[in-house]
Amino acid sequence: MPVIQTRSLTKVYRTRVKKEGLGASFRALFHAEWKAIQAVTDISLQVEAGEIVAFIGPNGAGKSTFIKMLCGILHPTGGELSVLGFSPVKERRNLALRIGTVFGQKSQLWLHLPALDSFTLLAAIYEISDSERRRRVAELSELFELKDFLQTPVRKLSLGQRIRCEVAASLLHNPELLFLDEPTIGLDVVVKQAIRELILRRNKEWGTTVFLTSHDPSDIEQLCRRAVVIDRGVIVLDTQVDKLKSDYLGEKRVEVRFTSPQPFLHIPGAEVTVEGGGLKAVLTVNTSSCPIGDIMGRLSAMGNVSDITINNPPMEEIIAGIFKREAAS
Amino acid sequence: MCKHIKIFKCYFKLNLASALEYRASFFTQAFGMALSNSSFIFFWWVAFGQIGGTIAGYSFRDVLYIWAIASSGFGAAHILFANVTTLTKLIVTGELDTYLLQPCNVLMNILCAKTSLPAYGDFLYGFVIMFIFYSGNPMAWMWFLWGVLLCGLLITAVNLAAHTFSFYWGEASLIGQLATEFMINFSIYPEKIYAPAVRAIMYSLIPAGIAVHVPLRLFTRFSWGTALCALGGAILYGAACGFFFYKGLKRYESGNAIVTRL
Repeated sequence: MPVIQTRSLTKVYRTRVKKEGLGASFRALFHAEWKAIQAVTDISLQVEAGEIVAFIGPNGAGKSTFIKMLCGILHPTGGELSVLGFSPVKERRNLALRIGTVFGQKSQLWLHLPALDSFTLLAAIYEISDSERRRRVAELSELFELKDFLQTPVRKLSLGQRIRCEVAASLLHNPELLFLDEPTIGLDVVVKQAIRELILRRNKEWGTTVFLTSHDPSDIEQLCRRAVVIDRGVIVLDTQVDKLKSDYLGEKRVEVRFTSPQPFLHIPGAEVTVEGGGLKAVLTVNTSSCPIGDIMGRLSAMGNVSDITINNPPMEEIIAGIFKREAAS
Repeated sequence: MCKHIKIFKCYFKLNLASALEYRASFFTQAFGMALSNSSFIFFWWVAFGQIGGTIAGYSFRDVLYIWAIASSGFGAAHILFANVTTLTKLIVTGELDTYLLQPCNVLMNILCAKTSLPAYGDFLYGFVIMFIFYSGNPMAWMWFLWGVLLCGLLITAVNLAAHTFSFYWGEASLIGQLATEFMINFSIYPEKIYAPAVRAIMYSLIPAGIAVHVPLRLFTRFSWGTALCALGGAILYGAACGFFFYKGLKRYESGNAIVTRL
C-alpha cells in the first residue's frame, strides 16, 4: 500500500482584495471584495514506503500547502488523500502518532529550556513510557552527537545544534514517515552534510519514508531518488533524481579569482563571463560534457588563480530550465 | 484521559521551569502584581470607612471575598492557560501548526503551552486575603475554592471565545482584551451597582456572576438549586466556547512565520 496517495487534491484560499489608499480601506469596510487563490490544483501523487522524495518548486508554488494538507493541518478544498492509510482530516491524531515533521521555520523545542526537557514533553504527547523515552533519547543522542549540549538551554545552541535537536525530536516516536520542510535552511556546509547523512542512515536502517522540500540542489542530489517539481500548484515534473541530475543539475558555477588581471579567458567546455576588470571570472560548466576536474586542471595550470568556488545553480534557475524544456517538448 | 493529565502535568512543570530561568523577573512580576492588587483593597477600605455599612448590599468582607476569588481565579487561568491570550497571534501568523501536528487534544495542547509570571502573584494574593480574613471558616474556604475553579475556567472560556473570532475576522485580540476587562470589572464590584440589563450579561455573555458572585451567595445563603445551576451554566458555557473554537479551526489557513516556543 502506498504511504502517500492523493487524487486530484485541490486547495483554494479565499483572500480579501483591497485597492490602494485610505479611501479604499473605508469602502472595503462595507463592500469587501474577495478573490479565490488556487494554491494546489488537481495533484495526484503516490509515494511508496522507503522512498526519499524531493518535492521542489519556487517560493509560492504550493509545496508547504500540499505538505500541510498531508499532515492534517489544512483541510483540502477538493480531491482525496490518504497518508499511511489514514485520512489526515478525520484521523489527525492517529496519523500524527506515526509521522514526524521538521519545519525549518517552526521549532518544537522550548527556547529557554534544555532540549532534554522538550523531549520529556514530546514523549508524554507521543505516549512513550519513561523507560522507553530514556532509551530512545540515549540512542538519538549518540546518533546525532547531542550529549555535549542536551542539557544546555536551546537559546544558547548554535543553529546547527538546534536543527540536530529538532530532527532528533521529530524521530523520538520512531515515525514511519518524515516530512522535512527546508531542514537545512541557514546551516553551514559541514552541518548540512551531517544532517543529510543522518537522514540517509535513518532511511536505510529503519526504512523511514522521507518527503523533503528544499531550495538546496545538494539536498536533492545527495538524499533523494525521486524528484517531484511543482509550480503554481501543479506538478510539472515527476522523475528520478539521476535523470534530473543529468538533465538539469549537471551544470555547475565556478567562480575564480585571479592575482593579476585576466581580461581574455577561454576554457573549452565552459561559458565564461569576466568581471572586475579581469580579476574575477564566472564559468558555467556542463559537467556531463566537461568533467569539473578538467576545468580545475586548466585553471591551476594558469598559475595566477587565488581562489575557486564551485556552486550549484540556484533552484529557481533549475526550475526555469525545467519549464523551458517541458514547454519545448 | 490519563495521557492528557500527564501532558498537563508536563506542561505545568516545563512552564514553571521556563519561568524560573529568569528568577529575578519572576519574583518581581509576581510581587508587583500582588502589590498592585493591594492598592485596590486599600481603596475599598477607605470607601467603606467613609460610607460605612454596605455598598449595594456588599459589606467590606464580601468585597474582599469576591476580590479573593477573582484574583486567584484570574491567576489560576493565566498560570495554567496563559496561551489563550496569544491565540489571535497564533491564528493570524499560522503558529497553530506545531500544535496540530501533535497527537493530542488541540485545544488543551494550545491552552497549556504557556504560563504568565504575574499570574502567580494574582493567584497567591487571593489566598493571602482568605488567610487574613477567613482563616477559621471552612465553608468560606470551600466556596472560595469552588469559585477559583469556576472563575479560572470561565475566564479562559471567555478569552477563548473572543480570540476565536480571529478565524473569521483575522484580528480579534482587542475583543479578547475587552472581554477580559469586562470579566474583571464585573467580578470585583458588588453586582447590584450594575443595571439589570448589565446583570443579565453577567450571567450569560460575560459570566462573571457565575464565577464570583454566586460563590459568595452560596457561602452566605447556600442553596442546592443555585449551586447546580451555576455548575451547569459554567459547563454549558465552556462547552459552547470549545465548540465555537473547533468550528473556527476548520477555517485555519496556516502561514510561514518563523516560530520559537518560549
